[in-house]
Amino acid sequence: MSLPLTVIGGYLGAGKTTLINRLLAEDHGLQLLIMVNDFGAINVDASLIEAAGDDMIALSNGCVCCTMGADLFLAIGDVLDRDLRPDHLVIEASGIADPAAIARVAIAEPDLVYGGVVTVVDALEYDRLSNDPQIGAQVRGQVDVADVVVVSKTDGGAWPEALGVAAVPLAEIDVVGPLVCGMTPAQVPEGLATHPSYVRWHGTMRGAVERSDLIARLEARPVGLFRMKGFVSAPQGRVWEVHCVGRQVTVKEGSGPLGLVGIGLSGRVKRSQLDNWWRGFDL
Amino acid sequence: MSDITVFAADKFITMDPNMPEATHVAVRDGRVLAIGDAQCADAWGPVQHDDRLKGATVLPGLIEGHAHMMAGAIWRYAYVGYHDRIDPEGKLWPGLPDADAVVTGLKDYAKGLESDAPIVGWGFDPIFLTSERLSRDHLDQISPDRPIAIIFSNFHLMCVNSRALEMAGYDAGTNVEGVIMGQNGRPTGELQEMAAMFPIMRRLGIDFRGLSQTPEAIRAYAKVAQRAGVTTITDLFSSMEDEDVDVMLEVTSGDFPLRIVPVLGAMGDPATIADKAERLAKRSTDKLRMGAVKLMTDGSIQGWTARVRWPGYIGGQPNGMWNTAPEAIYALCAEMQARGIQMHIHVNGDEAAEVSLDAIEAALSAHPGQGHRHVLQHCQMMDRDLYERAAELGCCTNIFSNHIWYFGDQHVALTLGEDRAHRMDAARSALDAGVPIALHSDAPVTPLGPLFTAWCAVNRRTMSGRVLGAVQCLTVPEALYAITMGAAFTLKLDSEIGSISVGKRADFAVLGDDPTGVDPMALKDISVLGTVSGGTVHLL
Ligand SMILES: [Zn+2]
Repeated sequence: MSLPLTVIGGYLGAGKTTLINRLLAEDHGLQLLIMVNDFGAINVDASLIEAAGDDMIALSNGCVCCTMGADLFLAIGDVLDRDLRPDHLVIEASGIADPAAIARVAIAEPDLVYGGVVTVVDALEYDRLSNDPQIGAQVRGQVDVADVVVVSKTDGGAWPEALGVAAVPLAEIDVVGPLVCGMTPAQVPEGLATHPSYVRWHGTMRGAVERSDLIARLEARPVGLFRMKGFVSAPQGRVWEVHCVGRQVTVKEGSGPLGLVGIGLSGRVKRSQLDNWWRGFDL
Repeated sequence: MSDITVFAADKFITMDPNMPEATHVAVRDGRVLAIGDAQCADAWGPVQHDDRLKGATVLPGLIEGHAHMMAGAIWRYAYVGYHDRIDPEGKLWPGLPDADAVVTGLKDYAKGLESDAPIVGWGFDPIFLTSERLSRDHLDQISPDRPIAIIFSNFHLMCVNSRALEMAGYDAGTNVEGVIMGQNGRPTGELQEMAAMFPIMRRLGIDFRGLSQTPEAIRAYAKVAQRAGVTTITDLFSSMEDEDVDVMLEVTSGDFPLRIVPVLGAMGDPATIADKAERLAKRSTDKLRMGAVKLMTDGSIQGWTARVRWPGYIGGQPNGMWNTAPEAIYALCAEMQARGIQMHIHVNGDEAAEVSLDAIEAALSAHPGQGHRHVLQHCQMMDRDLYERAAELGCCTNIFSNHIWYFGDQHVALTLGEDRAHRMDAARSALDAGVPIALHSDAPVTPLGPLFTAWCAVNRRTMSGRVLGAVQCLTVPEALYAITMGAAFTLKLDSEIGSISVGKRADFAVLGDDPTGVDPMALKDISVLGTVSGGTVHLL
């Protein structure tokens, strides 16, 4: 089974750690491995900590947070070589890094699957930073490559005018797990129903479909449906494994119970849009 | 038996103005006891004479202030670069001028391997090729069955054959940025940047970590150094976990012929890095000197990723990229200056140099203190005004002179243009401003060889044979000083090494000819016969 990788990007102080702290504390039922640049701002309830070392914290909910050391790609290789892989790998990109340059490895590497780029933007600082002659281009680049942009520090109604893309205030998302890591199909039906931040969707298909047709249809899905995964019938009794995050669509041979589940953020997508799109698809 | 050894040589060039030349040097306890003639140490008691250096010209052990440990172990892979190069065992690998030569060279190399063993090559640089780009079709001629990967000299790109592509699952359906697709809709074999190279590296067992820190890698580094007359060398961006330090301490103990200065890579939280640097400093030994840190700022000029000031790149490429945000450079400088930790700061472009000097200036006003000797590394585009500021701030500069020969023509044509290329690696401006300088190779990016590096700074020839910026040429004595005392100063080791002076370590470079006596154009051709490290002779 491929290991999903999500990269959290954003400039220094944007709020990446706030997002990670929330992810660590949530009861999402996933064993996450979260690699951070340093432990400085990692802050989880002491009662949740099961073990802690110089470069590792293990939590009672099964999540592990560790520093990535000198070479990020070696660290990713080490995770893949383990006997017991986590359910999801989350990497915090450094403040000036291009998160897509890291996330791309999940598209390239067969043992990984793309879990998306979530870029965090500071509502109070983004306008200044994105126009800075020294770092503006790199800061804007982090937003350009994001599958989801979340905005921190929006209290008091602050909003970055220069952003220019759809984004969601971090404070308005009640649980961040689905946003960053998606859901396993089994979790979706009940799990998300109680969370008003998300619209969930579920679809099945009767007939088999060619890979290129499937990709074309998946690419035409409403943009607000930012995560989708599951299995679809392929010709000759085979099965397609589908992962969609943002603009990235991955379809490869796999096996699993037929059906697709997806989530989007409330306010970004409506059930009726999704149903319309899917009706045209149902063969 | 006497504990004093008197070495005789054709000539010792000491780099110590008080006694610039001698025929004999006496050594006790690994240190220089006396300098002069055959009787120079008689006052100290009985001596034994050692004639193994007779006929040679002896310099202080040469010091490479900017290299990387993988320069040794990279030779576990097949060298396929454009220029001739010599491996740690002394074998010459002839330069391969085009893709076809790479094919022929690797076909020969493959004969020595098991039939399914992967072939990994390194050192290939397309910037020197006028023929078509290297592709899978070339590499498939070597072998369609075994995986083949050619790592480019900048370590950011590789080219692989069809078998390797298949192992990584790359085919016509692949849509990954960095997996280059050809006109026929298939991958060409060229892979750009780590994400695209990762599946290949993982499956072919290419492990850059194994190129440093392992006992074999450390010993290979020592061999490469010995061939270049180098007795002290940096490893200028080391990760150094505790286990790594244990290994390095073990390997470098005893009669190990090289002093290594591993410099901790500084990426992340400044206080955490400073804590680690302080812990490492405490574990230092004579042969292993830790405690300094290395900051990355920008990229490279020939990759158009260096941060350059107005008017930018002549091809109109966008300005380069920061590897550390200016704000983070400020924070790191402040913390290291406050903690008394020496910094080596990678600056290729002039904007990166300017920001780093700004950051050091701010750190110095917040945490005044002298003797920090922070070192700007590469300094390729620094001009007079930046060197003046470096002098004012008490900084050193370690200049990448090898670039003049290897990439000078490309800088004229493709990156900076004629005018600014004239003032690249401006060692003369640095000396005029009163900045202490060293000169470096950045091995394995260019080959380790301080005499060659000195030749570059003295002659400023490019590969096409022209002189690039004659006004910036150094004299031979200035260049020799830079690769000995100059480099020792940048490492804060000038009280121990860098010259043949009483009390200093008996570290020597043993040469086949006198660098002050030959035509300056012949500086690079002087043979290295070996080294003496702490009084122990290591001839080749
Ligand atoms: Zn370097």
